[in-house]
Amino acid sequence: MKEIPVSKRDLIVALVLAVVIAVGILVIENWPLPTEQGSVASTKEDSLPSAVAVSGVERVFQINFQENKETWLKRICEVSTITGCELLSAGADAMWEKYTDAKSVVSAAAQATQKVADNGTEQVWQMNITLSSPLPGSNKTQDTAYVVLMRTDSGWKFDRFLMGEEINALLARIKSSVPTVEEGKK
Amino acid sequence: MKRFFLFIVVLTLLIPTAVYAQDTDPWSEVFQPDGNLKPDLINLGVTTDHPDWMSMDLPFGQSLDLDANYHRYQTPRGNIVVLPSASTLFFMAMNPQESGLASSYGSLGSGYGSLISFLGLAAGDNLDWGRIQAEHPEYTSPDQFWGAVLNGNQDVWTYFSGWGFITNLLQMTWNDGALRSTYLLYLNGTQNCTSIPGGCSGVVTPPPPPRECPDPSVVLQQPVLAIQKTAPNNPLVVGQDTETRRGADIQARVTVPPVIFTWHEPIYEVRDICRSARVGETPNCNTRSGSIFLDGVSDTKRVFKECRTHVERLPDAVASLQATGALDAASQVWISGQLSQSHYGAYIHQENFTLIPGIGSWTGGCGGGATCTATGQALRVPFADPGTFSLRLDVVTTGTRFRGIPITQPRRIGIDGTMQVYVTLPALVP
Repeated sequence: MKEIPVSKRDLIVALVLAVVIAVGILVIENWPLPTEQGSVASTKEDSLPSAVAVSGVERVFQINFQENKETWLKRICEVSTITGCELLSAGADAMWEKYTDAKSVVSAAAQATQKVADNGTEQVWQMNITLSSPLPGSNKTQDTAYVVLMRTDSGWKFDRFLMGEEINALLARIKSSVPTVEEGKK
Repeated sequence: MKRFFLFIVVLTLLIPTAVYAQDTDPWSEVFQPDGNLKPDLINLGVTTDHPDWMSMDLPFGQSLDLDANYHRYQTPRGNIVVLPSASTLFFMAMNPQESGLASSYGSLGSGYGSLISFLGLAAGDNLDWGRIQAEHPEYTSPDQFWGAVLNGNQDVWTYFSGWGFITNLLQMTWNDGALRSTYLLYLNGTQNCTSIPGGCSGVVTPPPPPRECPDPSVVLQQPVLAIQKTAPNNPLVVGQDTETRRGADIQARVTVPPVIFTWHEPIYEVRDICRSARVGETPNCNTRSGSIFLDGVSDTKRVFKECRTHVERLPDAVASLQATGALDAASQVWISGQLSQSHYGAYIHQENFTLIPGIGSWTGGCGGGATCTATGQALRVPFADPGTFSLRLDVVTTGTRFRGIPITQPRRIGIDGTMQVYVTLPALVP
C-alpha cells in the first residue's frame, strides 16, 4: 500500500477551500434572481404603482352593508381612473344588492406580489388578497387577482381587474417568453 | 383624439352600402336605395340584457354584470335588425357563438366588413400585430385575423398588448348611447326571438303581413327665407351717423313648412270561418254549403279589409342659421379708385362681416302646426365702408323622423340679399 504524505498546511488549505465552496453554493442558491417582470415591489419606481394597486383592491373589498353603495363607490373612485370608476359603477347595483342582502361587513388586506406586465402607460400586478370573512356566493377568504393600473395626468390609478381570458393569455405569454433554467444553461 | 377618430369612422360605417338596396338581398327589406331605413320598419326601441358573456369575473367569485344594449327594428317579413352598442358589439365579437353574433345573417354577409373595421378601430394599437405575423404568417392583414376571430378560429385575447382600451370602449358607449356601427340581421327573428340578441322584448308577434297598401309618400314644401336691413332707413358709415357708431341692424328669418308624410295602414277584420278539421279535432261545421256531414271546425281568420290613410305633418326644425355680409366687388373698386382719388386716404376698412352667429344670434322653434321658424338679428353692425353689401343667409334643417325612423334628410338652403351703406362727402362750393 502506497502512503501519501499530507502536510498540516495542505489539510488546512483543503478545509478552507471546502468551506468557501459550500458557502458559495448556498449564497448562489438563495440569491434573489431578477425576473423579466420584476417581483415584489422592490424598486422605487414600482413602489408607487404597487401602493395604488393595494389601495384599489382593498377599497373594492372593504364592504359594509350599513354604508350606502355611493359611499363604497366614492372610496374606490378616489384611487381609480375615470373609466375604471364608471366600469365598477355600471355593474355595482347587483353586487351591492347581494352585499346588502347578506349583511356583509368585510375588510381586505392586499399585497402586490408581482408586476407581471408594464408597457409604460399600463401595468398589470398580481395581487394576493385576504378577506376578514367570505363574501356572498363564496367561502374563500384568500384569493389571487390581476389588476390593471393606468398612468394618468395625476399619477398611477387603479383601472380594473383583468378578465379570465386576459389572465390566461397574459400568463401564457409570460411563460413562453421567459427562458427556463435548462434553457438558460445551454 | 383616437376616440374622436373612432367616433367619426363609426358614424361613417352607419351609412349602409348600396349592396343593401338590392331586391334579392334580405337587406333590401331594411334599407331604401338612398341608404335610409325603410319607413315600414317597426322601431322596437332599445333593449338591455345581462348576458353571461358580458360579465367580468372578480376575485372571490364576484362578478361585474355589464349591460348588453341593442337598438332593434322589425321588418314586415318578421326579420329583426339589431344594432348593438359599441361595447356590446365588442363583447359579441369576442364571444361570437355565445352572443348569437355567429348566427346573424349580417355576420356572414355584407355586414361583416363594417364589423371588422369596427374591431380594428376599437382595439387599435392594442393588438400585437407583429406577434400575430410572427406566429401566423397566413394572415396578411389585421382584417384577415379579425375574420378568423369572428369565425371562432383564433383567440384574440392572446394577442392584445394593452388593457385600457376596454374601459375606454365602455365609457364611449356610456357617453353616447347612439353610437352603433353595425347592423345585424336575424332572419325570421320574430319566430326565433328567444335566440336573438335582446330576446323577445317588444317583438311584434305575429309579424305584420306583407304590404297590401300603397307605399308611403313625402311632400316637401319650400322654406321661405329672408335677410334684410331693418334700421335705419339710410345707414351711414359708422362715424358719420347721427348717433355714435350707430351702424345698421340686420334681420334674418326662415320659415320651414311641415313635411307632409302620407302612409297607409292596412286594416284587417276577423271573420268566422269553417276550416277543415285536423287530426284529433271534433268537426262542428260544414266546410261546403249543402253538405250533410260535419267535416270542419269553427275558427276565425284575419282578412284584409282596407287601407287607412294617415297624413302626418312632420316638423323640420332649423338646426343652424348663419348670416354674413360682404362689400361687393364694384363698391370695393369704387372706394379704391374713384373715392380714393377725390378723397385722399380713402380705403376699405372691413369688407366681410360674420353677422349671425357672431355679432348677433338666432332663436328658433316649431309651432303646433309643425311649421318651424327661426329668427336672427345682428344689431348695430359697424359698417365702415360705403357701397353695396351682399347679405347671405344659410340654413340647415334637422330632417324629419316618424316613430324614430328618418323620413327626410337635413336640408341645406340659402338666400342672398343686399343693402346700401351711405357716406356723406364734403365738397367745396365756390
